[in-house]
Amino acid sequence: MNKITVYTLSTCPWCRKTKNFFNEHKIPFTYIDYDLADEPTQRRILQEVDAAGVNGFPYVKINDEVIVGYQPDRYSKALGL
Amino acid sequence: MSKSLVNIESRKKSLHYFFEKVVGPLGFKFTSDEDLMNFLLEQEVILESKHGIPFCPCQPLRNDRARDMQIVCPCIPFHRKHFDEIKRCWCGLFIHKDIIDPDKLPQLPPKEVNNE
Repeated sequence: MNKITVYTLSTCPWCRKTKNFFNEHKIPFTYIDYDLADEPTQRRILQEVDAAGVNGFPYVKINDEVIVGYQPDRYSKALGL
Repeated sequence: MSKSLVNIESRKKSLHYFFEKVVGPLGFKFTSDEDLMNFLLEQEVILESKHGIPFCPCQPLRNDRARDMQIVCPCIPFHRKHFDEIKRCWCGLFIHKDIIDPDKLPQLPPKEVNNE
């Protein structure tokens, strides 16, 4: 079972496309809209994305792999689709 | 600025007019994907209504003024090298003037640009 976590912004169309990708493939995932999250959650997410050296969303974690940006080919590859 | 007092379509047109004049000399133009352009401009109007500034809809606000100013649209000058390499800005509102099909431009973070 793949563990998939996605950090998104409610204002970002690429974040919506990312959620659609997993929904359309019927792949379970969890997501947090950063801009709608509480402050402690926002701080935790920023620490994580800063550690990865990136600043844009969507931020996708598939098991241990981090993929930043809307990159459906890489999602598929990471999932073995 | 209260959200309820903003005419979204009117403000979108104003931002479009202003942004076009700013990004042109930088070598960029609006994306030819009109649905994407309209959605992003609308989000920027909403962000401007909330925060007073049209921030990028695809980058996080940090409550750090210096960092947050780097994502005010059009944020091209702050990310020039990266955006020149991927031929688009992060949210895709702007693309390089020589690009015809924006769908062929992947949304790559700086670390991955040289790996393509």
